[in-house]
Amino acid sequence: MITLLDMSSPTPPAVNLVDVWKRFPGVVANAGATLSVTEGTIHAVLGENGAGKSTLMNVLSGMYRPDSGEIQIKGQQFWFRSPADALAAGIGMVHQEFRLIPSFTVAENVVLGASERILRRSSIEAQVGDVANEFGLKIDPTRPVWQLSMGERQRVEILKSLWRNAQILILDEPTAVLTPSEANELGTVLREMANSGRSIIFISHKLHEVKEFCDEATVLRGGETVAASLLVKDTDTVKLAGLMVGSSPSTISRPTPQSQGTPLLTVSGIGALDDRFLPAIQDLNLTVHGGEIVGIAGVSGNGQREIAQVIAGLRPVTSGKIIINGEDLTNALPVERFRAGLGYVPEDRLGVGLAPRLNIIENAILRNYRNLRQGPLLAEERMRTYCEDIINRFGVRSGLLGDPIAGLSGGNLQRLLVGRELSGNPKVLVAAQPTRGLDVKGVKAIQDLLVAERSDGVAILLISEDLDELLTLSDRLLVMHEGMIVGEFDPTTAKRHDIGAAMAGEVAT
Amino acid sequence: MSEASMIGLLSAAVSFGALLYLAALGELISEKAGILNLGVEGMMAVGAVTGFMVALETENAWVALLAAMLVGALFALIHGFFTVVLGAEQVVSGLSLTILGLGASAFVGKNAVGKPSGAVLASVDWGPLSDIPWAGPILFSQSPLVYFAILAGLAAAFVLTRTSTGLALRGAGESASTVDAAGHSVVRLRLGAIATGGALAGASGAYLTLSLTPQWTEGVTAGRGWIAVALVIFGAWRPGRCAVGALLFGGLLALKSRLQTFGVDLSPILLSMIPYLLTIGVLIVISIRARHRPSSAPAALGQAYRREER
Amino acid sequence: MGRLVLVRRDQVLQGGQPLAFLIGIFSALLIGILLLAVSGHDALAVYERMFDASIGSSKAWSLTLNRAVPLGLAGLAVAVAGRMGLWNIGAEGQILAGAMMAAWVARIGESWPSPLLITVMLLAAVLGGALLGLGPAVARAQIGVNEIITTLMLNEVALRMLQWLIHGPWKDPESRGFPLAPILPEGARLPGLFQQAHWGAVIALLVIILFGLVASRTAWGYELRVAGSSGATALYAGISLKRKILTVLVLSGGIAGLAGGIELSGSSDRIVEGISGGYGFAGIIVAALALMRPSGVAAVALLFGAVQVGGLSIQTMGVSSSVSTILQALILFGAIGAGVFSRYSVKRVSKENQEVQ
Repeated sequence: MITLLDMSSPTPPAVNLVDVWKRFPGVVANAGATLSVTEGTIHAVLGENGAGKSTLMNVLSGMYRPDSGEIQIKGQQFWFRSPADALAAGIGMVHQEFRLIPSFTVAENVVLGASERILRRSSIEAQVGDVANEFGLKIDPTRPVWQLSMGERQRVEILKSLWRNAQILILDEPTAVLTPSEANELGTVLREMANSGRSIIFISHKLHEVKEFCDEATVLRGGETVAASLLVKDTDTVKLAGLMVGSSPSTISRPTPQSQGTPLLTVSGIGALDDRFLPAIQDLNLTVHGGEIVGIAGVSGNGQREIAQVIAGLRPVTSGKIIINGEDLTNALPVERFRAGLGYVPEDRLGVGLAPRLNIIENAILRNYRNLRQGPLLAEERMRTYCEDIINRFGVRSGLLGDPIAGLSGGNLQRLLVGRELSGNPKVLVAAQPTRGLDVKGVKAIQDLLVAERSDGVAILLISEDLDELLTLSDRLLVMHEGMIVGEFDPTTAKRHDIGAAMAGEVAT
Repeated sequence: MSEASMIGLLSAAVSFGALLYLAALGELISEKAGILNLGVEGMMAVGAVTGFMVALETENAWVALLAAMLVGALFALIHGFFTVVLGAEQVVSGLSLTILGLGASAFVGKNAVGKPSGAVLASVDWGPLSDIPWAGPILFSQSPLVYFAILAGLAAAFVLTRTSTGLALRGAGESASTVDAAGHSVVRLRLGAIATGGALAGASGAYLTLSLTPQWTEGVTAGRGWIAVALVIFGAWRPGRCAVGALLFGGLLALKSRLQTFGVDLSPILLSMIPYLLTIGVLIVISIRARHRPSSAPAALGQAYRREER
Repeated sequence: MGRLVLVRRDQVLQGGQPLAFLIGIFSALLIGILLLAVSGHDALAVYERMFDASIGSSKAWSLTLNRAVPLGLAGLAVAVAGRMGLWNIGAEGQILAGAMMAAWVARIGESWPSPLLITVMLLAAVLGGALLGLGPAVARAQIGVNEIITTLMLNEVALRMLQWLIHGPWKDPESRGFPLAPILPEGARLPGLFQQAHWGAVIALLVIILFGLVASRTAWGYELRVAGSSGATALYAGISLKRKILTVLVLSGGIAGLAGGIELSGSSDRIVEGISGGYGFAGIIVAALALMRPSGVAAVALLFGAVQVGGLSIQTMGVSSSVSTILQALILFGAIGAGVFSRYSVKRVSKENQEVQ
């Protein structure tokens, strides 16, 4: 373990977590993690998905009780039994999924749990407005939260902590929902808060942000702290990346280029609405040829989810045409698309791709059960064979086939899901965030599968939030912004800066 | 239609309306905190029998009312224990509470059937106010529970919209984890709301046996608990609108026994379907509107909450 | 110093649910003893009478069976919807609708041969229940209207409908002012099986077995499981959720309606106000205790039938029949309470956060 913290420093650290353990059924989320944050700094907590960052922060914010370990705030020992205890100790947390009540106004959300017994609407709105102005947060306290954008909602979350005068603020992957310019704005606000003596814990896996915004960094891997309180200015992103992934690098080598096949997926002039019935995609065109991987990059919430669903047949189009393997399937049912040769790996593995309460066999046949019938009955024997075939071919490590899939690890769930989609020998594969939340080995396995399918001539549309993954795997890279394709890049030559600008909608190529 | 019969109808509408409103207000508070309690009918029955038995024993109607509210609250906490503490299915637990309440009240009240009441809550005398034409008999010579219902409604509206506890309670019905993260105890808020709901349902039941028809018979609640559940939806989870609905539904109940007096040739039984059909209609409108904005129904209604579940 | 918290078990305890059910029965009987003793009855004598009357002889069994029929069908109705995560709280009203439809057929088909009449009556009963389920089904499938409330409201509507009929158009002129419909013609009565038991038991058992097979063996049942586990997954697999919601709620209503038809034709000889007998609500408890499984529904329905018959028998001892109502609710609460511990264990958390078993 690397420690650069000056132990002789006279003031105790704002936060000191020592040897924290937390287990969940089947998972050890924290295995002796430590963290020490200097007062008045912005401290990055880095780690891959599943490294235990969120769990550690939930322990610090009183959401989870650790199995063992110590929490010291400004030198004083604490045992948090609930978020209330943590709040009382001056710790505020901005969760990845916002803890906001959509039907409440901004002001009501901010003062919830921290107000006088009697509420006077106008005076509370004025007070909340004052605090927002003090830190340069642009927000209207009288608006109901359901009308706000993601960036605005995040400001409400930060405002909640400021309202409680939290001296320690935890932000869990705060930029995931922001455009680059909104992210920069957030950086300014955070610096302002640090300058006023507050300590900020910034959880991220985006290295350039850490480099830009943070003073110190702690790296977690597999639930353990592998590097504590590195001074950011003395380190570089390559070193941080190395610490995050450990000895085995996660990226695979770029697949050898091959000549383009025939167009297998053509999407032209597509429009679609989001869940709130607002336009999510407008006049979108793209083509994927056999034997190529086309990547789609973008800040989350710019229509990537919707375009995947539209192609899979889970969301109706308002205009345009979808042609899969030569057939016009614009308004076809999901089953018909599967039969026509479309495989789909949805971003929500459990709950869309797989049914959590059903067993492994039942999940394995989900796409194909109509072919496993004997009259009205399901053919048990053939179901089992079909399932065993997927399990063997794609290396799913499972217990009994009759057990609910809830017991499988994330990586095995994804292998089962991807394997099932590939078992239909698709011509076109749409994969949305296929490696998100997997451990290093799991990521590699899925990426290898995608590359192998590409070599076999399958047309693959890869939607990911991991730019490194897209740059490595894609033959062509498209960037989405506000429901449109705003740029196309050659991954071998493109500059990150240009891609970033396109993601922010600043350049149109 | 004579003036006297019109006054009689309106006066009865206010009286029935208050009876329904008490129980509905209790259910509203519970649902606002995210707990659907289909045990209203049972809680009312328990309140009714408690009120009557304690009145027999003490010959003091006020003590009887307090006892009915207390027992109603404790009885409701059975639902609280199972749904809030153990996270059981609210529909099942609530219906079981109704069944338990109907059974227990019949068991306890078996020997009280047919007995004359020990004490009644006499109508409040407002002095000269009671002599005002129309308003006097309709508004100023009612059972004390009518005025209690009005006060309870105002108090509930105030607490829900103007206090920090009310904000947290509504929050618990919208998103329990948010309220938890904000430092409130979801368990305490929800149990408090359930107990308050039970106390109000108990008061409503006691209204039956201490005021409206001062005697005990098995099944005295006669499905009024279900109307109370309907009323909450009809009023779109707002105390004020529920009050309007209570007067309307109360008016229909009052009209039922007076149809012939008014010379209307309609079966009173068919008339009594109207509240339920209206409620279904309102629910459909609410559901259609909820397509484009948050529904007026509490978002977390019916959902158990456990902090470390993931 | 410390407090108790529930901690989720890594794995659900094997056999936890049947055990929880037994604990539920046991604790309910225990509380029952207390209740009876406090109110000055000889609890053991009361229980002995209840056992005798419900399972002590073939006549007792026949009575229990007759009660188990509507309980089991109502329980199955709730379970059919419950497997998809839907709540049909309207079985009570659907039973009434089924009984009314069957009675209507009996009125117009008085002269038909008995087997034909009974068959048409029962089909009409299914139709009646299904029709009452159709409204909530369409509202839920098309607009997303909460089916708990709509089905609950329709209970009351169906009840008023029945009251109107027996106070008005269907009132028996010979009932001397009582709100009763006329007694059914002989040909409309289900034939007997043994003692008091009628063929309804066989029909109910067949329906339960049939649904059990359909649910576990067919593609349709598989689709139902997928839809019940996750609606989004169902869409992804090409299963139309709307159609599933529609069929399931209508089917659920139909099964409850059948209960009403059988109850009318087998047990009650005429339409009376209390013909649904609370079976619809009890059915929800039956289904919940059976964890929505058809085989469990049959077993729990038999138990509840016995408890109800036992409850009626103790009235002659001066004990209120409401004891059986109380016992039914207590069994459920006891089972829920015990069931929690098959999924969670209790741990004591001390101030120092050291967990102690």
